[in-house]
Amino acid sequence: MHFELTEEQKEIKKAIREFCEKEFTPQIALELDQKEEFPTELYRKAGKLGFTGMKFPQEYSGQGYGVLEDCIVVEEMCRVDPGLGTAISSGTFMVADILLKHGTEEQKQKYIPPLAKGEAVSSGAVTEPEHGSDITRMDTTAAKSGNELVINGSKEFITNSPIADYFMILCQTDPNAAPSHRGQSLLIVEKGASGLEVTKLHGKMGIKPCITGSVSLSEVKVPENNLVGELNKGFYYVLEFFDKSRIAVAAQAVGMAQGAFEKALQYSKNRKQFGSPIIQFQGVSFKIADMAIKIEAARMLTYKAAWLYDQGKVNPVSTSMAKAYASRVAVEVTDDAIQIFGGYGYLADYHVERFHRCAKITEIYEGTSEIQKLTISNYLAKQP
Amino acid sequence: MDVVVCVKHVPETAEAELRIDKTGKAIEKTSLVFDINEWDDYALEEAVRIREKQGGTVTVITVGAQDSESTLRKCLARGADTAIRLTDPKFENSDAYAIAKILHSAIKNLHYDLILLGAQAGDDGSAMVGPILAEMLNIPHATMTKKIELNTGTAKVNRELEGGLEEQLEIKLPALFAVQTGINEPRYVSIMGIRKAMQKEIKVMGLADTGLTEADVGPAGSWTTIEKLYVPPVEKQAEFLKGTPEEIATKIADIVKSRGLI
Amino acid sequence: MAKIFVLVEHRQGRLRDITFEMLTKANELTEKTDAETTAVLLGNNIVEHAKTLTEYAKTVLLVQDPKLENFNSEAYRKILAKLITEHKPSLVMMGHTSYGIELAPRLATALGTPLATDCLDLTFEADGLAVTRQMYGGKVNVKAMLRKAETYMTTVRQATFTAEKPATPPNGQIAEVPSLLTEEIAEKRFLQYVLPPSGGVDITAAEKLIGIGRGIKDQTNMSMIEELAKTLGAVLACSRPIVDKGWLPSDRQVGSSGKTVKPKLYLALGISGAFQHVLGMKSSDLIIAVNKDPKAPIFSFADYGIVEDLFKIVPALKGKIYELKGQKA
Repeated sequence: MHFELTEEQKEIKKAIREFCEKEFTPQIALELDQKEEFPTELYRKAGKLGFTGMKFPQEYSGQGYGVLEDCIVVEEMCRVDPGLGTAISSGTFMVADILLKHGTEEQKQKYIPPLAKGEAVSSGAVTEPEHGSDITRMDTTAAKSGNELVINGSKEFITNSPIADYFMILCQTDPNAAPSHRGQSLLIVEKGASGLEVTKLHGKMGIKPCITGSVSLSEVKVPENNLVGELNKGFYYVLEFFDKSRIAVAAQAVGMAQGAFEKALQYSKNRKQFGSPIIQFQGVSFKIADMAIKIEAARMLTYKAAWLYDQGKVNPVSTSMAKAYASRVAVEVTDDAIQIFGGYGYLADYHVERFHRCAKITEIYEGTSEIQKLTISNYLAKQP
Repeated sequence: MDVVVCVKHVPETAEAELRIDKTGKAIEKTSLVFDINEWDDYALEEAVRIREKQGGTVTVITVGAQDSESTLRKCLARGADTAIRLTDPKFENSDAYAIAKILHSAIKNLHYDLILLGAQAGDDGSAMVGPILAEMLNIPHATMTKKIELNTGTAKVNRELEGGLEEQLEIKLPALFAVQTGINEPRYVSIMGIRKAMQKEIKVMGLADTGLTEADVGPAGSWTTIEKLYVPPVEKQAEFLKGTPEEIATKIADIVKSRGLI
Repeated sequence: MAKIFVLVEHRQGRLRDITFEMLTKANELTEKTDAETTAVLLGNNIVEHAKTLTEYAKTVLLVQDPKLENFNSEAYRKILAKLITEHKPSLVMMGHTSYGIELAPRLATALGTPLATDCLDLTFEADGLAVTRQMYGGKVNVKAMLRKAETYMTTVRQATFTAEKPATPPNGQIAEVPSLLTEEIAEKRFLQYVLPPSGGVDITAAEKLIGIGRGIKDQTNMSMIEELAKTLGAVLACSRPIVDKGWLPSDRQVGSSGKTVKPKLYLALGISGAFQHVLGMKSSDLIIAVNKDPKAPIFSFADYGIVEDLFKIVPALKGKIYELKGQKA
């Protein structure tokens, strides 16, 4: 057993912390939250310093670290600001990870380096208006036509879609497959493709700088070699990807909880009521203690899931536990943080309500908490 | 151009609340975050820029316990080539003079064209290590350096004087420059830098390696000894305006108006 | 008789304030210890300065040499080393200024004389010289003892001692000493004075100043402050970090390395109040400071203090001033 970060991991944590604390100013965070705008400049800066390419190999301009190191970076970003943190840490969403495992060398060389360097943004389009948690059937189809595939359909709640350079689209390539998920494939579509239309979604509760859109595909033609991996294996690739990406969501949640917690702790030491700092009242101090316990537990689950992944012992149960628990903790702790701030916590200017608004998404995206529990309970039910 | 940069690992205190410890001679450090001294940060950046432009090496050196390795690692990650840490229990409680002697013991054996360091340190603020070191090494120096322009065998430097004035000097190399903040814009640590830094070894040297004796270092080798620390007495205190931002703004505006300034 | 040396600081034909501050402190010390204040004046064509100093010091040691036209720490070091060795003063005082910082540590090392820098106070005690200085950016005061020695050296902080002419004029004597410099200092040559490029605004002439510091956090916040300045009819000034970051030109800097200002209103926003800054603004008629840290030193100098996030105060204040101006019109 070893419960300490290595020297190198500590250095990484320090470096990303310094970057975020200097660059993610509360004013920028507030402004982009209000405007629902992606922090393009910060994303590029972070990319140049290697923070967006942590988990990609050096041969593709990544940093060659594992999921754990990536989690450290994601956690710190979300600790300083949940909106900017989720936005920047999701910039390379799905495309590079799946290509790394299943892409052709040509695809890897073309798409991964710009993402790893923060020069491009990618978008993974899975969810459809009719298919949220259930992705076993896609209404979006891709049909072969000569050397091309023609895509038709629509996607909903697609992270980064309004600004993405590359899309990875989950399509039904074999409508007759039974079960239907055995007929799904992933296809790469580039920005500007004819028939590709994206509409920016407004009015999200939180993570507003991490922008979302609806994607409509009408007779979008892509060359055959834009197919990722094997035909009709897309569903499996996506599930496999979730085992990795859900750990990052857990890290986002831990970071958000930590950030709100630190603000609340500081406030409870400075805020005086009835002549004493409010941390001296048990109603507050026990809350603070509970918050600290939960965050620590969530972090341990997250790091363990990441560590297992990096050890090549990918464990969907461990991942789901981390994601379900950390996201719950994020919601609870950010809620408690507002409570400690009292009326001020309800104001945007005090920068805690934003954490709470953002935290909720971690219980929803990359598989809702219910889906995580399904994974865990299915596994447990099978145990002798 | 071989550049040696002297750095110090210091607590960040600008926004921290400080408490004096039980001995009364130091502050409580457990809850403080340590980092490279702000002035040294600029010195390191200047050194790395010189190396990037002209080639050569950058060696960072510090006097400090194990924890100061994180500052050296940071310097390596930001572009320094090699790092030396001078450490010994006997070095504890050395003042700036003793620290300069310890640094000198190692630097005198290195090849250098330039020595850079911060004009002062954020902890003791004594601003003397640089010139003392220059005297010991018998090389010219400049403090409060705002600009360095390197030529063959000489450097033109701007020193900050008072009242917004600067003076320009021409100094023969090798030389030592103690740099002022604002001379450049220090870069962030990159992940690529960290990876490189982790592969480098930090050379550690103790008292026995320095050729100094116990009498040269620590309190025995120092010019000054701290008797006590205390919170600066408050001579005057502002009248605090309280309320909501709106109420406070009204109060300020009224005060300013009553002075006929609106 | 024991002597206290005060190194006279002068530049571009003018004696600097720190000189008189040190002489006042030296006279206070010599009164108590039966010693004598000696002003040490190095330069070229500076007899007038020497005459002025006779009103403050018992002796003015004067060294004149064309090679001392401008300050050169190496030239000073050579001459002072000789004078100190000959006269064996109990204390050598210099300003904690660009000149003192450049010279004192090197001279002290060469002579083996214990040195304490940036002193706020000096007292001779039985065990030797005790000094008061500060650590951690002025958040903590320190009492320190210098190692017992025949001669001590200190640099003292500017504007710490109040300059006063002695009640009984010392009728000092000028003792001119020949310069021992035989040639120019080759390794370190003065070239010229440089005034950093001007931004075209003279903050010393402004009636109302808004001083901004580290608390501004980000350059994007400058516009909010600029709007307030416009509404109030004030000029923007700043502390060092803002110039270091390049957000304002250096001629807007207030403090020891910048300008000294004395406006009718100084509104300090996000300025902690390090002494270097305070030195340049403490004589303002009205000082109002906004800072999040209730313990910020600026509150010891301000008339009114506000412990609050400046980004909440600034827009509200802008609105109020706008209203008041409207009423007037």
